[in-house]
Amino acid sequence: MRAIATTSAILGMVLCVGCGAPIAEFQQNHVYILKQKNELDGAFTPQQRKDLANVMEALFGTPDNPHIPQTGVDTSSLFEQNKLLMAAGPYGSYEDGRPRGLYREHCVHCHGVTGDGKGPTAQFLNPYPRDYRLGKFKFKSTPSATPPTHEDLRLILYNGIPDTAMPSFKLIPGDELEALIQYVRYLSIRGTVERELIFVMAEYGEEERLFDETIGAEQAEEVTDVVNAVLEDWIAAEGASLEIPPAPKGEKADMIAKGKALFYGDIAGCVKCHGDSALGDGQKTDYDDWAKDYFDPKKPDDRYQYIALGALEPQNIIPRNLRAGVYRGGRRPIDLYRRIANGITGTPMPKAPASLSPDDIWHLVHYVRSLPRETTSNPYQHVPANNRERH
Amino acid sequence: MGRFWSLLFLLVPVIGVGIFVVCAAEIGIEDHWLPENVNEHGRVIDDLFMFILYLTGIIFIATGIALFWFLWKYDAAKNVEPVKYVHGSHTLEVVWSIVPAATLLFIAIYQMNAWADAKMRRPTLPGSDELLPPLVEVTARQFEWRLRYAGVDQVMGTDDDVFGVNDLHIPVDEDIVIAIKSKDVLHSFFLPNLRIKQDIVPGMKQHVWFKSNKKGVYDIVCAELCGWGHYKMKGRLTISSRDDFNIWLQEQYENQEVSEFEPEGSE
Repeated sequence: MRAIATTSAILGMVLCVGCGAPIAEFQQNHVYILKQKNELDGAFTPQQRKDLANVMEALFGTPDNPHIPQTGVDTSSLFEQNKLLMAAGPYGSYEDGRPRGLYREHCVHCHGVTGDGKGPTAQFLNPYPRDYRLGKFKFKSTPSATPPTHEDLRLILYNGIPDTAMPSFKLIPGDELEALIQYVRYLSIRGTVERELIFVMAEYGEEERLFDETIGAEQAEEVTDVVNAVLEDWIAAEGASLEIPPAPKGEKADMIAKGKALFYGDIAGCVKCHGDSALGDGQKTDYDDWAKDYFDPKKPDDRYQYIALGALEPQNIIPRNLRAGVYRGGRRPIDLYRRIANGITGTPMPKAPASLSPDDIWHLVHYVRSLPRETTSNPYQHVPANNRERH
Repeated sequence: MGRFWSLLFLLVPVIGVGIFVVCAAEIGIEDHWLPENVNEHGRVIDDLFMFILYLTGIIFIATGIALFWFLWKYDAAKNVEPVKYVHGSHTLEVVWSIVPAATLLFIAIYQMNAWADAKMRRPTLPGSDELLPPLVEVTARQFEWRLRYAGVDQVMGTDDDVFGVNDLHIPVDEDIVIAIKSKDVLHSFFLPNLRIKQDIVPGMKQHVWFKSNKKGVYDIVCAELCGWGHYKMKGRLTISSRDDFNIWLQEQYENQEVSEFEPEGSE
C-alpha cells in the first residue's frame, strides 16, 4: 500500500505545481534608450521611463488586450479590432470558437512577444528573426524608406523566406493569415512609435515629463503627432508600390549578355558585393541596419553594454549567392526587379542608380535568373545504389 | 500484496489489446486506425503490417498471461515452502532460440518482394528500360517542404521548372517518381495515405515512387525528429486528374513568371 501512497503523493505534487507560463508583457526598448542616453545625453530618469511605459500602454494596450491607437487618424485600412484579438493573447480559442493567440502559436518563439526579434530561438538563427520595431522590412514593393504594403507582408507569410528560418504559412486559413499580418503591423507601428518617443525624450531635462496628467493636452499633442506620423506612413504605403514596366522583348541570350555586361560594369557595380563569380563573396564584413542600430563596427567593444540589455551579438550580412537559385524575397521576375530597382531596405544592397534604365534592370534580372542554370552552379548529389541507373 | 501486483500486470495485456480492438473496429472513436490507403501497392504494406501485428499480438498476449500466472501462483504470502533452485532446461532454450529465429527468417523472405517494389524497382518509361524521371523534387528543410516540378519538358533544372512550398499536387492513376533531398539535417518524407516513408540524408538524392488510385487531399508529414519545429513540418498533398494537374501546373508557372506590375489605384 505504501507504494500506492507514494505514487499518488508524487502525482498530486506534480498536479499542484502545474505549468503556468509567465504573464506576457511588452518589453521597453532598453537598448535604444541606452543608445540615446549615450549619444544625445538623455536623462531617462526612472519616472520618465515609467511615463513612457504608461503612454505606450494607453496607446497600444497589452499583449493580451491590444488597442488600436485612437489619435484621430482613420486606421481602418490597417487594422480591425477583431482580427488583432485573434492574433493576440495566449494560445487557445474564444467561447464562440474563434481562434486566439495565433501570434503566440506561430511567431513568438522567434519574433518575441514585443516583436523585437528576440524570442527564445532567435539567438541560434542566422539571419536573426526580424525586429519589427525599426519599421523596416526587406522584401517589399515600396521604396526603401516606406513601410511594406499589405500584399508584401502577405506574400512573405504565404511563401516563407527560403534560406532563412522563416517558414511558409501557406496552409493556415486566410482569415488567420490576415490576423497575423495585421498583428505584425501593429507590433511594428508600436515599436516605431516607442523609438520615436524615446528620441523625443532624449532632449528632456531631468524634470521634464513625456505626459503628466496635470499638464495634459499640450504634451499629449506631442505624443499624438508622433503616433499619427507613423500611422500615416503606413497608410500611405499602400499606394507606393513600384510600377514595373513590362520586360523588353528580344532574344534571351542577347538580354542575358547585356545583363552580364551591366553586372560587371561600373554603373550597377553588382560585382563589388556579389563577387567575381556571383557567389556572394565580394565582401563579407558589412552589417545590416538592425545590427548597426546598436553596433558600431569601428568601436566593437561598445556592443557589450547593449548585449547586456538583451541585444543579440551582431552578425555579418552576407551578399546573396546568386548561383544557388534561392531567392528570399520571391523568384518572380517582378520580385527580382524590385530588389534591384528599390534595393533591399536595411541592408547594404542599394537602390539602382538613376542612370540604369528599366530595360537595363530587366537585363540584369535575366542575367541573374540564368546564373543557377549554368552547369557550375549545380553541385553533385550522391544517388544511393538502389536506384541508380543500371547498365 | 503479491496478488495485487499480479492483477496490475494483467491489466497490461487487457488494456493493450482493448485499445487496439477499439481503434481498429472504430467503437466510439474514428480515425485512430491506419489512414485510408490510396496507393495501388499499399495493400502489400498493409498486409505485412497486419501479419506482423497479429504475430506479435499473439506473443504479447501469451507472455502477458504467463507473467500474470507466475506472479499469482508464486505469491510469497501463499507459498511458505523454501525456494527450489532449478538449473534450467537445455531443450527449452533450444526451442525458444530456434522458433523466433525461424520466424524472423520467414518474415525476411516473405517481405523481400515488397521491399524490392518499394525501394529498388523504380518504374521505367513505357516500353523501355529507361527509368522514369522524377515529376517533382522535394527538398526538406527546417521546417518545410520546398518543391520543384520538372515542368512540361520533364527535365529538372530548365527554364520551365515550377517552384512551390508545402503544397504538392500529383496526378492520379499514374506512376509517379519523386526525388527527395535535404538542405540541412535528417528528415523523413512520409505520405501516410500512400504508405510511403523515406528518410532523407543531406547530400543524398533519394527517390520514392507510387501510383495513387483515388483523388483527394492528404497529408505530408515529417517522420524524423528534425529539430524543435518538427511537429509543424507538414504539407498538403492534392491528388487530382491529369487534366486538373496540368491546369494547376500551368497556373503556378504563370504566377511565377509575372513580369510586369501596375500598383492598384495608380492612374
